[in-house]
Amino acid sequence: MSTPTTSMRTQARAVRWGNSAVLLLISIATVYPFVWMILTSIRESNSVFGGSFFPERITFDAYARVLEFTGFMGHYWNSLWMTTVTCGIVLALSTLCGYAFAKLRFPFKNTLYIALLATLMMPGTALIIPVYLQLRSFGLLDSQFGLILVYASGAAPFSMFLMRAFFESLPDELVHAARVDGAGELSVFLRIVLPLARPGIATVLIFQFLSTWNEFLMANTILQTPEKLPLQPVLFSLQGEYSTDWTTLSAGLTLSAIPVILVYVFLQKQFIAGMTLGAVKS
Amino acid sequence: MVAGYGFVLPTMVLFVLFVGYPILHTFYLSTAQWSGFGEASFIGLDNFVRAAGDPVVQRAFLLTVGWALATTVLQTALPLVIAAMVAAVPGPVSVVVRTALFMPGIVSFVVSGVLWRLIYDPNFGTLNAAIQKLGFEDFNHPWLGSADSAIPALLVVAVWQGVGMSMLIFFAGIQGIDPGLNEAAMVDGAGVLQRFRHVTLPSLRFVTAIVLALNLMNGFKVFDLIYVMTGGGPNNSTQVLGTYLYGLAFGSASGSVPQLGYASSLSVVVMALCTVAVLFQMRLSRRAGR
Repeated sequence: MSTPTTSMRTQARAVRWGNSAVLLLISIATVYPFVWMILTSIRESNSVFGGSFFPERITFDAYARVLEFTGFMGHYWNSLWMTTVTCGIVLALSTLCGYAFAKLRFPFKNTLYIALLATLMMPGTALIIPVYLQLRSFGLLDSQFGLILVYASGAAPFSMFLMRAFFESLPDELVHAARVDGAGELSVFLRIVLPLARPGIATVLIFQFLSTWNEFLMANTILQTPEKLPLQPVLFSLQGEYSTDWTTLSAGLTLSAIPVILVYVFLQKQFIAGMTLGAVKS
Repeated sequence: MVAGYGFVLPTMVLFVLFVGYPILHTFYLSTAQWSGFGEASFIGLDNFVRAAGDPVVQRAFLLTVGWALATTVLQTALPLVIAAMVAAVPGPVSVVVRTALFMPGIVSFVVSGVLWRLIYDPNFGTLNAAIQKLGFEDFNHPWLGSADSAIPALLVVAVWQGVGMSMLIFFAGIQGIDPGLNEAAMVDGAGVLQRFRHVTLPSLRFVTAIVLALNLMNGFKVFDLIYVMTGGGPNNSTQVLGTYLYGLAFGSASGSVPQLGYASSLSVVVMALCTVAVLFQMRLSRRAGR
């Protein structure tokens, strides 16, 4: 009996070591492009091609250049406030709506719910033409407000879906008890239900922050005035303008990725829960 | 009852204005010939007939489907194996690996696209430089600029970005497997591969169905990465339905006159593909859930 157990233990140890080695190699390969990007951004621009892997001298000139010549901070600010406002709107809409679908009763509830869900898988490319026309007829082309409305309406059904799943897990008695005490539906929602929904809210916010910050197609199509653009379309056009100045380009990429990487690193647990839940549920 | 409608109303209004109506509008536009200005003329199904005979559309359609199938297979098989490996390593290694593999998934397609364009650059790119160091001194292959290698090069980036998410879903699934099953299999003398085959795989049927469907849907939606990295070129060799219809409506593919009707008919095709993916998911998860 002891021989097979020992050999199995040896095998298990070998597997652990082998797996670890292979996985760490894969990890290094995966992260390598990011490391290379950051190292390129702090090189002297004449040492990009043919220099050693680690720069011999570190300089932040590329960051100074990207900030000075591209109006980067303005676009950064656009991305930041538009993402924040979108997150706020989506949160308000999706908690209200998700709660109603989870805990309230009203005619045609299921019909409305299915109508919202049926469009979850619609890709942006299939909607961009009519959305563009719709904004044009409202006089909202080239309007950041218009873009935010498009973001919020596109994202609300999915976040509603997440919030509904979350609210459904709360016991009905909680809501009933508050109603018996004479509270109106809105105050039940604001004072009792919403504070309990913090984990769900965190999930929705993280997911929304990331997808709005990274959105490219709509922003690139709907906004035309350069000053109004968020980061992604600007990075796209930098690719053409700075195609030979890799340090500046890398500095721009690095700066734009910092917020999402920070959110990822500091809120990793909620983040992964949100992303995987999001993926699984959709 | 009033409260219910009040709570739902704001979402419904926005939804109808910017999602519901636009979807219906796409169907209408797909039967019209229109530049976006003046009167649209109704031409029935002519756009679809034209699309069926347009060699660029034929290519783009096949490429979109092929892309979806390829990314689905790669982004399901690789993450499954990796997740099983991650589940068998010590905690700290597991955390490092999961953090690293998920990182590409959080940056935008613009960031990853621009970054990988630098890596693939024929003259100064890191990839060619690495190959030159291996001894092939005049190697300067234009990875994205040649029709043969552009699609595989794009696939590498898509897989690089997509592996992490599927891996995490599989990993969560593996964590949920009853440890008793593995122990029992070990007592019966099952090795690592046998346990993967007879314990892990069957236990992950439902999760696998979800990952497959998710990847298939994302595959049909492909746009940003290709638009940023090749713009559909060279010579339409990387043109998918999304990039082609975008070009017809807003960009260079149409010459100077936007062809909103024709582009919308391609939107309808993309919607149809995504619907197929959803039906596939429903069928698969019903089967996997017994």
